[in-house]
Amino acid sequence: MVGPQYDCQANPLGAVRLTFEKALASGLDPASFDGKDWGALDLFRQFLFDQGALSHVPILNATTIRWVQPNTLVRFRGMIQDMLGNELYVGAYKDGSVWRTNKFMDASQHPMGMVGSPPDMRIWERRLLYCVPVPGQSSWTESSSEVVMNSTSQQREKRRRMDDDASNHTDMVLDEECESSPSAKKMRENGSRSKDSKREGTSNMSTLTDVERNSLPCLIKIYDSPESELKLNDVFEFVGVLTLESDVIADKDDLDESSNGFFEDELVHLPSFKVPRIHCLIHRKLDVRDFLHNPSTIEPKPDLVKEIRESLLRHLTAVLGNDGIAAHFVLLHLLSRVHARVDNVAVGKLSLNLTSLSKESVSVFGNQLRCAVENLLPFTYCMPLTLEYLNTASLAPKKDYQTNRLIPGVLQLAEGSHLIIDETQLETGTLNSTGVENARLLKNLMEFQKVEYNFEYYKMEMTADIQLLVFSEGKSNIVPADLVIPFQPSSAVSFEVVPTEALEAWRWYLATVRSLPHSIESEMQKMVENDLVAARQADRSLGSQDFSRLLTMARLMSASFGETSLSLEHWQMVKELERLRRERLK
Amino acid sequence: MASDSDFPNFNNGPSSPDDSIDNTFSSPADNSRVRRGRGGGRRRRSSTPAAYATPLASQSRFATPSDTPTTTPSRSHRRSNGRRPTTSPSSTDDIPVSSSEAGDDMDEATPTFVWGTNISVQDVKSAIQMFLKHFREKEVLLSGSETEIYKEGKYMRAINRVLEVEGECIDVDAHDVFDYDSDLYSKMVRYPLEVLAIFDIVLMDIVSLINPLFEKHVQVRIYNLKSSTSMRNLNPSDIEKMVSLKGMIIRCSSIIPEIREAIFSCLVCGYYSDPIVVDRGRINEPTTCLKQECLAKNSMTLVHNRCRFADKQIVRLQETPDQIPDGGTPNTVNLLMHDKLVDAGKPGDRVEVTGIYRAMSVRVGPAQRTVKSLFKTYIDCLHIKKTDKSRMLVDDAMGVDSGPPRIDEEIQFDEAKIEQLKELSKQPDIYETLTRSLAPNIWELDDVKKGLLCQLFGGNALKLPSGASFRGDINILLVGDPGTSKSQLLQYIHKLSPRGIYTSGRGSSAVGLTAYVSKDPETGETVLESGALVLSDRGICCIDEFDKMSENARSMLHEVMEQQTVSIAKAGIIASLNARTSVLACANPSGSRYNPRLSVIDNIHLPPTLLSRFDLIYLILDKADEQTDRRLAKHIVALHFENPESAEQGMVDLAILTAYMSYARKHIHPQLSDEAAEELTRGYVEMRRRGNFPGSSKKVITATPRQIESLIRLSEALARIRFSEWVEKHDVIEAFRLLEVAMQQSATDHSTGTIDMDLITTGVSASERMRRDNLVSATRNIIMEKMQLGGSSMRTLELLEELKKLSPGSELHLHDLRNALATLASEGFVVVHGDTVKRL
Repeated sequence: MVGPQYDCQANPLGAVRLTFEKALASGLDPASFDGKDWGALDLFRQFLFDQGALSHVPILNATTIRWVQPNTLVRFRGMIQDMLGNELYVGAYKDGSVWRTNKFMDASQHPMGMVGSPPDMRIWERRLLYCVPVPGQSSWTESSSEVVMNSTSQQREKRRRMDDDASNHTDMVLDEECESSPSAKKMRENGSRSKDSKREGTSNMSTLTDVERNSLPCLIKIYDSPESELKLNDVFEFVGVLTLESDVIADKDDLDESSNGFFEDELVHLPSFKVPRIHCLIHRKLDVRDFLHNPSTIEPKPDLVKEIRESLLRHLTAVLGNDGIAAHFVLLHLLSRVHARVDNVAVGKLSLNLTSLSKESVSVFGNQLRCAVENLLPFTYCMPLTLEYLNTASLAPKKDYQTNRLIPGVLQLAEGSHLIIDETQLETGTLNSTGVENARLLKNLMEFQKVEYNFEYYKMEMTADIQLLVFSEGKSNIVPADLVIPFQPSSAVSFEVVPTEALEAWRWYLATVRSLPHSIESEMQKMVENDLVAARQADRSLGSQDFSRLLTMARLMSASFGETSLSLEHWQMVKELERLRRERLK
Repeated sequence: MASDSDFPNFNNGPSSPDDSIDNTFSSPADNSRVRRGRGGGRRRRSSTPAAYATPLASQSRFATPSDTPTTTPSRSHRRSNGRRPTTSPSSTDDIPVSSSEAGDDMDEATPTFVWGTNISVQDVKSAIQMFLKHFREKEVLLSGSETEIYKEGKYMRAINRVLEVEGECIDVDAHDVFDYDSDLYSKMVRYPLEVLAIFDIVLMDIVSLINPLFEKHVQVRIYNLKSSTSMRNLNPSDIEKMVSLKGMIIRCSSIIPEIREAIFSCLVCGYYSDPIVVDRGRINEPTTCLKQECLAKNSMTLVHNRCRFADKQIVRLQETPDQIPDGGTPNTVNLLMHDKLVDAGKPGDRVEVTGIYRAMSVRVGPAQRTVKSLFKTYIDCLHIKKTDKSRMLVDDAMGVDSGPPRIDEEIQFDEAKIEQLKELSKQPDIYETLTRSLAPNIWELDDVKKGLLCQLFGGNALKLPSGASFRGDINILLVGDPGTSKSQLLQYIHKLSPRGIYTSGRGSSAVGLTAYVSKDPETGETVLESGALVLSDRGICCIDEFDKMSENARSMLHEVMEQQTVSIAKAGIIASLNARTSVLACANPSGSRYNPRLSVIDNIHLPPTLLSRFDLIYLILDKADEQTDRRLAKHIVALHFENPESAEQGMVDLAILTAYMSYARKHIHPQLSDEAAEELTRGYVEMRRRGNFPGSSKKVITATPRQIESLIRLSEALARIRFSEWVEKHDVIEAFRLLEVAMQQSATDHSTGTIDMDLITTGVSASERMRRDNLVSATRNIIMEKMQLGGSSMRTLELLEELKKLSPGSELHLHDLRNALATLASEGFVVVHGDTVKRL
C-alpha cells in the first residue's frame, strides 16, 4: 500500500487539489470535467472503504461540532428534509496560467479578482440539500458513534504526533482499532446498560427530549450525482469537507442594502454557525443495520433466528402484561414494511390498533411498550392524539414561500420510522379545520402510506413507509388500522432489566429479518388460495383487505423465523392467530 | 466609483444583472458592443477589445472560435428604454470598429461579427429585415390569392398597429421565425442578447421609415419557442441562451424603481448636469462641477425628481407538480421583469415564460470587487404567457359545437407521440387493452370499466342553431355493496381525468358543489367562488357517498347534469356558470347491503328524477361466486408474493392512457354513419317493443328518449376510443350492450325479470304496480263480503288472514295491506282507525 501524499482526513482539499493537478498533468482539459469527477472521488473511496478509514471520520452532531476543525473530513448522518435546488459556481479557473479548482469548497482559496472571461473559467453546478438528524432517532443509535468519536479524537492526537510517519499511518490506525475495540465495546455496554436502567424508570418524556437534543441541521452540497439517487426523506450518510463561511455576515449586510428584492437566497436564513456546510465527497444510503452497534456478520442461521425470536417474543409478552397473542401481533407489526406499491395499494404495511386501553392502563402498558419499541427500533415517534393536538399541530410539511423553505411537519418521517398514536387521551369536542385536515392526513397515511405535502397552491403526495401503532379504548375510527386487537393483560407490569446483549441481538434480528426477500411456492400458493376462497364462501363479509392482511401476516410470520418462503406451518399459525383475534373481537 | 458608497441607491445590488458585469458569465454579450437598450439591464462595457485579443470563446458554445475575426459592432449611443428620441439609429449603429488588436488576419472587407462567433451582424440584420417585411402566414400563402400576397406581411401590420396605438412592443412568434428562417431562429436562441439587439435596431429602422416622428422605443418580444426546457434541466450550458419555461408564480416582489438616468446639480453654483446614464449598474457621480466657471469639488448632488426611473420586479417561479420527479421537491427560479411585464402575473398563476437564462456573480461585500465563486441565476424575462388564461380563450373560441376540447394544456403532443398514439389506436383490441389498463388492480367489473372508459372519452356535445344543446358528457352511478372497490374506482378515475374533482357526499354542501357568492372583505364587492362542479368544467366530478349527500345539495345536481350550467341568483349577482362536467357518483345501498328484493330506488333512496339523469347505473354486487372469489384470492396472493410489475401484461401505462385520452378528446369528433343511425333506430324501437308482451295488458317502458341520447353518447365515445371519425354499426351494438348490462343490473324488475325503466323513472315497477292494484281489489272484495255498511269494525290482522286464505301462494305483508287500505280509505270506501277498519 502506498501511503497517501495528503492526509485525506485532515486536509481533504489538499487531496482534491492534488488529484486535480494530476489530472491536468495527464493532459486533460478542464472543460472535460464538466459534471464529472477527475479521480478525486476514487482516492477518497479508496481511503474510506478500502482502507477502512470510514469509522474514524468524526460524525458531525451538536456535540462534535464544537471541536471538529473546518476543512476536515466529517461524516453526517441525516434525513434529506428539503432540497434547495442547484447552485452554479466557478468550478475551475485560470489563475495566471495555472488552472485551479473550487470544487468542494465555498470560496476560492486563491484570490480570483480578475477572473471572469469565460475561456478562463468553467462553471459547474452542485445541488444543495438541507438535511436534519433523522426525526425520532433513538438514543441507542448514537451511543455507538460517540464512542467511535472518542476513540478517533484520541487517535487524532496520536496521529498528530506521528505525522511525519505518514506512510505507516493507516496501518497503525487499523491495528489500534482492532486492539481497542473490545475495550470500547465493554465501555459501550456499561454505558448503555446504565442508560437503559435509568430509562426504565424515567422514560416518560424521553421521546421529546430525544428529538430536541440532537438537532443540528446541515447543508449538504452534492456534486455530480444523478438526481434520482437522492430523494426527499431518505436517510443518508454524507462524507465530505466541513466548511464554515466567514463572510456570511458581510454578505448579509450587502443584501440588506438592496433588500427590496428577494434575490437573496434561502441560505441567508441558514447562517453557517447554525447550519454547517458539508461539501459531500461520498454519500451512501443508510439502512437500519448501519445504526447497529455491531453490524457484525452474524449469519441469519435458522436456529439462531428462532432463538432470538423466542426471547424477543418473551420480552414483548412480559412488556404486554402476559398477553401472548398481542405480543405476536406486535412482533409481526414491528417487522412490517411497504415492499411494493401497486397503484394506490401499499403492499406489506401492517398497522396495529391495540384497543381496550384506558387512560390509566396506557400509562402503564403503553409507556412500557413504547420504551420497548424505542429500544428496538432506530427511529420512533410518539404522538399523543388529543383534541388540542389535532387542532393545533402541523402534521404535514408546508412550503413557506417567504423563506422558500419546506417547513417540516410531524409526519415528515424517514422511511421505516415507527409512530405510536395514543388515542386514549382523546375526548369529545369540536375539530377545527386544521383538526379535520390533520385527521385526514393520519387516515391517508394509515390507508395508503402517503403524506400530502402542502405547497400552498397545490398539494403533493409523498410516499411514506411508517409503522403505525395505535392505542385506543375502542376501535379507532380516526386512524383505522389494518389489525385491531383488544388488549387483555393478565398480570401487572413485570419489571425486567434487559441485558444489553439481548437488546442488541433483537435489534439486529429486527433489522435483518425485515429486509429478507420473500417468495411463495406454487403449491403453497394454491393452498392459500383455496383457504381464502373457502373462508370467503363461509363469511361473505371478508373482503380484499382481509385477504391482504392475512397474506401480509403470513409473509411476516415466515420472515420472523428467518425463512424466505411461506410454509404450511406458518400459514396455519397465521390462521390460528387470526381466529384467536376474531374470538377476542366478539 | 468612489461615490458608490455615498449613493447606495445607484448601486443596483445583487438584484441587478449588471453589477460587476465583468463577472457575469456572458461572454459575447459583455464584450460585444451590441447592446440592448431594453430592460435597463445590459449596457456597454468600456473595456477595450485588447483584453480579448485571443478570444477563446467558451468552447461549450462555439466550436471553432479561436481565430474568428472579432470586430465589435458598436453603437455610439445607448438607447435608453425608448423614451429617449432615437435619432436615426441606423446611422450610428453598426459601424464596424476595427479593433486592430483583435484580428491579425483581419481584412477590410470582413463584415462585422458578433463577438466570439462567426455570425455576421449584417447577415442577421438583413435576415431580420426580410423576416419582418416578408413573413406571411402559411394559410395566406396557401390560399394563393394574389391580393393576399401583395398585402403587407403579418409583422408589418403588427408594426403599423403598434404605431397607431403608440405601443411599446411587438410580439413575435418564434415559430414564425423558425418557419421563415430556421438559421435565424437558431442564432436567436443561441445568442439572444445580440440578435435581439439587432432585432430592435431593425425594428426601429422600420419604425422610423414609416413614421420618422415616432418617439417611443418599440421592442420585440419573442414567445412560443420550438422547445421548452424544464426548470430542473437548466444547467450551465444554458446560460445566455433563450429558454422557455413553464411554471407557477409563487412570489412577486414589490415594484422596484430602478434608476436609468440621473441628473446632478451643483450645490455651489446650481448648475444642472446633463443626464448621466447608468453604466454597469452604477452612476458615476461627477466629482467636480462640470461648469467651467465653477469647478467646485464634491459639490454635485442628486436631483431625485429629475431622474428617470424604470419599473423592475423580481418574480419567483416554481415547477408545477407534474414536472417534479418522484421523491423531489419543486425547484424554483427567479425571473426579472421589466417595464410592461411588471405585474403581468400574480402568485398562483401558471405561466409560460420566455427569457434569457443568466448568471450573476455574488460579491463578498458591498464595497469589495472580489467575488465568491458562486453564481446566482435568474431569467431575464422577455415574454410571459398565462397558460390557464389561454386555455380559457381557446375554449371560448371553439364553443360547444366544435366538440369539447377538454385537454390539459400540459400535455403536449409532438409528432412522435401522436404517431405512437395512432399506432396504438390501430390495434384491433384497443378497446379491450384500454379496459384492461384501467384500474388494473381492480379485477372483474369489466363492464363497469368499459362504461367508465366511455365516460373518460365522452361523446360529442351538440348545440343546435335553435339554441337547444345536448350534452356529450356521460354520467355514471355506481351502486353496490361495501367493500367492492367502488371508491377505488372513483379515485382512479379522478387521477386519470383531465380536470377531476373528488368530493365526498357527506362533506359537500350545495354551495360547495356549485358556486357561492361572498363579499370581499376589503372592497365590499360580491365575488363568485366556484364550487367543485364548476371547477371540474370539462372534466369529471367524482362524488363518493352520493347517498349520504344532503337533499339540498343533491337537488343542485339536477340542473348541472342535464343543462350543464349552474345558475346563481343571489346577492346582486345573477349568473349562469358553465359546468360541463361528467358526474361519476357512487352510493351505498341504504341498508348497507343491497337488497335484491327491493328496487334500486328503495335501495339507495335517491329521487328518480336525479337517477334518470345517469346514463349508466351499475350495480356492483358482491355475489357469492366461487369463481370470482378464486380470482380475487389469486390476485391478492400475486400482489403480495410476486413482483407486481411482471404480472401486468398487455397493458398501457397511465401516462400513455392519459395522453391517448386527451388526444382523442381534442382531435376526434366522430359522427354517426348512416348505418349506425339505422342500427340505433332499429335497436331503440326493439327495446321499446320489448315492453309490450303479446297478450299482456300491462305496458312496461323499457326505454325512454333519454336512453337514446345516452346511446348516441356511448357510441360516439366508443368510436373515439378507436380514433375513428365515424361511428360504426358495431359501436352502436356495443353501446346497446353496455346500456343493457347496466340496465339489467339496475332496472330489472325482480319479479318478472324484464327491464323496466319505470323503476328508474318513478321508482315503482309496472309489475309491482299491478300487484298493488290486485291487492287493493282483493281487499275491497273481502271487505264487501265480510263487513256491513257502517257495521262493526274489523282488525287488520284478521283481514290479512283472510287475504292469505284467498291466495295461499303469495307472500303478503301487513305493510302491503296497510298501503292497500290507505288507497281504499282515500276512495272513501273504508275508515282506518289505528288497527281497526270500518266500512263506510
